[in-house]
Amino acid sequence: MRARGQVFQGKRSTPGGLLTSKLFEINWLLLTLVGLVGLVGVVMIYAATDGVWQRGAFQHLTRIALGGVAMLGVAMIDIRIWYRLAYPIYFVGIILLFGVEFFGLSVNGSVRWIDLGVFRFQPSEIMKPAIVLALARYYHDLPDWRVSNVWGLLGALILLIVPMGLIFRQPDLGTTLLLAATGVAIVFLAGISWRVIGLASVFATIAITIFYQFGLKAYQKERILTFLDPSRDPAGASYHITQSKIALGSGGVHGKGFMKGTQRQGEYVPENRTDFIFTVIGEEFGLVGGLMTLGLYMAVIGVCIWLSLQCKEVFSKLMILGLTTTFTLYIFINLGMVMGLAPVVGVPLPLISYGGTVIMAVMGGFGLILSAHLHRGVELPRPG
Amino acid sequence: MSSLTNQNQNDKAKVTRRTAILGAGGLGVFGVLAARLYQLQVLQAEDYRTLSENNRFNFNMLLPERGEIRDRFGRALAKNRQNFRLVMIPERTPEIALTLDRVAEISPLSDRQRDRILRDIQQNPKFIPILIEDNMDWKTFSALNMRLHDLPGVVSEAGQGRAYPENGVFSHVLGYIGRAGDRDIESDPDPLLRQPTFRIGKTGVEASQEKTLRGASGQLKVEVNAKGRIVREWPDPKTRAVPGKDVWLTLDADLQEFAAKQFATEDEGDDSGGICVIDVITGELRTMLSMPTFDANLFVSGLTQADMDQLNNDPKRPQYNKAIAGGYPPASTFKMTVMLAALESGLIDPTDAVFCGGKIRLGNRNFHCWKRQGHGKMDMRDALKHSCDTYFYDISQVIGIEAIANVARRLGLGEKYQIGVGGGISGIVPDAQWKQDRLGTGWRMGDTLNSSIGQGFVLATPLQLAVMTARIANAQTAVMPQLIIGQEMEPFKSLDFDPAHIAYVRDAMWSVTSEPGGTAYRNRPFAEDSGLDGVQMAGKTGTGQVRGISMTERTSGIRHNSKLPWKLRDHSIFVGYAPFDNPKFAVGTIVEHGGSGAKRAADITRAVLGEALRRDGVGSGPKSEQGALR
Repeated sequence: MRARGQVFQGKRSTPGGLLTSKLFEINWLLLTLVGLVGLVGVVMIYAATDGVWQRGAFQHLTRIALGGVAMLGVAMIDIRIWYRLAYPIYFVGIILLFGVEFFGLSVNGSVRWIDLGVFRFQPSEIMKPAIVLALARYYHDLPDWRVSNVWGLLGALILLIVPMGLIFRQPDLGTTLLLAATGVAIVFLAGISWRVIGLASVFATIAITIFYQFGLKAYQKERILTFLDPSRDPAGASYHITQSKIALGSGGVHGKGFMKGTQRQGEYVPENRTDFIFTVIGEEFGLVGGLMTLGLYMAVIGVCIWLSLQCKEVFSKLMILGLTTTFTLYIFINLGMVMGLAPVVGVPLPLISYGGTVIMAVMGGFGLILSAHLHRGVELPRPG
Repeated sequence: MSSLTNQNQNDKAKVTRRTAILGAGGLGVFGVLAARLYQLQVLQAEDYRTLSENNRFNFNMLLPERGEIRDRFGRALAKNRQNFRLVMIPERTPEIALTLDRVAEISPLSDRQRDRILRDIQQNPKFIPILIEDNMDWKTFSALNMRLHDLPGVVSEAGQGRAYPENGVFSHVLGYIGRAGDRDIESDPDPLLRQPTFRIGKTGVEASQEKTLRGASGQLKVEVNAKGRIVREWPDPKTRAVPGKDVWLTLDADLQEFAAKQFATEDEGDDSGGICVIDVITGELRTMLSMPTFDANLFVSGLTQADMDQLNNDPKRPQYNKAIAGGYPPASTFKMTVMLAALESGLIDPTDAVFCGGKIRLGNRNFHCWKRQGHGKMDMRDALKHSCDTYFYDISQVIGIEAIANVARRLGLGEKYQIGVGGGISGIVPDAQWKQDRLGTGWRMGDTLNSSIGQGFVLATPLQLAVMTARIANAQTAVMPQLIIGQEMEPFKSLDFDPAHIAYVRDAMWSVTSEPGGTAYRNRPFAEDSGLDGVQMAGKTGTGQVRGISMTERTSGIRHNSKLPWKLRDHSIFVGYAPFDNPKFAVGTIVEHGGSGAKRAADITRAVLGEALRRDGVGSGPKSEQGALR
């Protein structure tokens, strides 16, 4: 048996003692890229709020800065601690979600928030990294032969379904689906056999059909229907999508120029400080700005994948890839929605949309990624 | 150990493989997103740019300023004034009822107003501004302006309203403006008519000169936000509204007002009637007045039912334009026509006298002269001077109705003049054909006798009488009346009377006013202090009978007019022109139930004619403001 808890292993091991040298070892490329995306957010929120610094841009900048510090803090914490905390964090998340059920604040008909007096936050955002941690730990601990085994699958399924159910009740369809997709991605990465995947696909198709028929609220169905046929309600539900596409399309290749978006000035696109912020990028900076944003995101994701490849432990790999998947799904769902490829669900564009909890959750996630990478030489306990 | 390591290795390889699969998938999705951006921002960019512009810009119709109507000296008779009003553009107002409630908090809205607003909203396309309230006072208007941010889709405008400042004396001529009705909209495709705040001419000059006065609409490009609030305006000089052109009338506002004052009585309000003053050379109307008047401003701001009832129930019918639509028996003023016909026929020697014994017998019917005891021997000149009916009964039988009717038409009777004020009538110049067509019975000699003194079927308006008199005064051309300056007129036709005959008639008309015994000698112009020394007027009285006079009444003595109820009194008629030696203006005056022609109508005519002459610089003395002639 190998010795557990051995700190120094391999040639490029992590220096545990000196904080400064540990900081030096952090992957500064990812940190820089994340910061850049955050700054794009500051600029675009500034534009979206008509150049009023205090209406979001300043807060966003503060949050990016705080988030950066938090990210570093999380990164510095030993991966073994995160490994140990994986389940506790998950359970705290579950408890908070139950808390929402009983003490939550109602905003726009959905109960998603908990008010702690000093600040309000959405436990569902905590759940996104928490589920990744839990599943990574689960698969790390699970012997390979049980990955495709019924019991092994059932464990993962329970871990996933409990928070999904709670979030769906809020109701928050977007986050529920995001959680589901992340979970599926981790299960897939963990090496589940293709045969199970095939069976699950068939089962999922049936389940989704039944779910759509009985599990969705009228407005959720309406969103999906108007997405499929925007002419159903030109002034109402599909108004967002139509105006959003007008904003993007009228931006053209070069955009209308910073602070010159007429769709934005006319307030035609609702929520353009939060979920629809990409319309401001598209309208004012055109295809060039849009592609640059996509490129920036791809760079972030690419670096994360690259970091995951350098890790040896399954926990680290799955955690990095799970968190990256969540991040990527945010982007896909948001941009798909803004470009009229996906239904309107309340999913922000990570690091760019205004909104505190999301930034903290996402940046905390990047902290975990950095930590996993920083401590890639550290060996984690493995059940025999 | 080795198995664990293997498993670990195996695991790692598997994870890496699957990472590659997911990564490739992710790359694919990014590709799709990029392609979608390309599609939206490059391939379809033009379409979306247009949509964006449509979003961003609204085109508000700009209403042209209506042209003013002025008198011959440029005085505004119909003009525009600031009208503070509030309109609502329904497509920009999400909650109409709530918004109206908020408006009502500041400027109360009656249920009737509310109903009208909601009806207008329903009946018009949603982008058309609906009038909430107009003619608002400045205080309410500015208070509402402060609250506009709470009132989405509500727009305050300082628009144009119509005002008729001249106290009603031009109401019949000018007409008034109002909202376009369904029929107006059907016959006129101009989109301006669909604007509920727009007004078109409904009657009078406002209606007949609509094309000139209206102008053309413009467009204002405005940038609006999603809530319809105007963010900024993009004025473009090319799309400005073209204001309507002014219309100038031949009327003289001061003279018109002066004439209106002459209709005032001491105890019965304004007399009812009409008067026209016409330039005997050019045909320009200096005055065209119907009395009593009404305030056309009421029609613009909205007439209450009470106002309407009062107007409709007034026996003097203020709304009725008596100057061109009032047909009256011209009575003795028709005698010049008969004289001219007689002279033209060559059948009558004017120096031959006819004995007037107070009546003439035709078959078994008596035709009475107005003077019961008779005039004695009368030649043609004396007959006009004394207005002897018997003489005209006598000669008319010789010359016949056809000759009389022919001359009457040449003098301008029986013709409807297109002067730009609708509602005129042609009056009646009767002859055998007319009677056959109208009544289906044959012409009788008695009809000729009645016609010879301007009674019976003959009907004329003050305008026609003025034209008739102008033609006699002009002697050469068939003067046509003109009201609107610049209106295209055909050259006047020749009158085609023997100058000697006309001169004879004119001399007889002079004797009426200027020789002792003339029916209007009492009114001989012009007193020494009138400033019109030596200026002489020619004229003719007429007393239009409105009731049959019974046999018993004739024997017991005809009741005096002043003892009769107003409705049964005779119409007082007078025509005249001046100066006699060099005619300038002719006047036709009718005062409904005004009694003898020698009184009300003659007084008014003399006063107005005198004032017209003074205002035109005739005479030596200073201009009299009051126009008192004695």
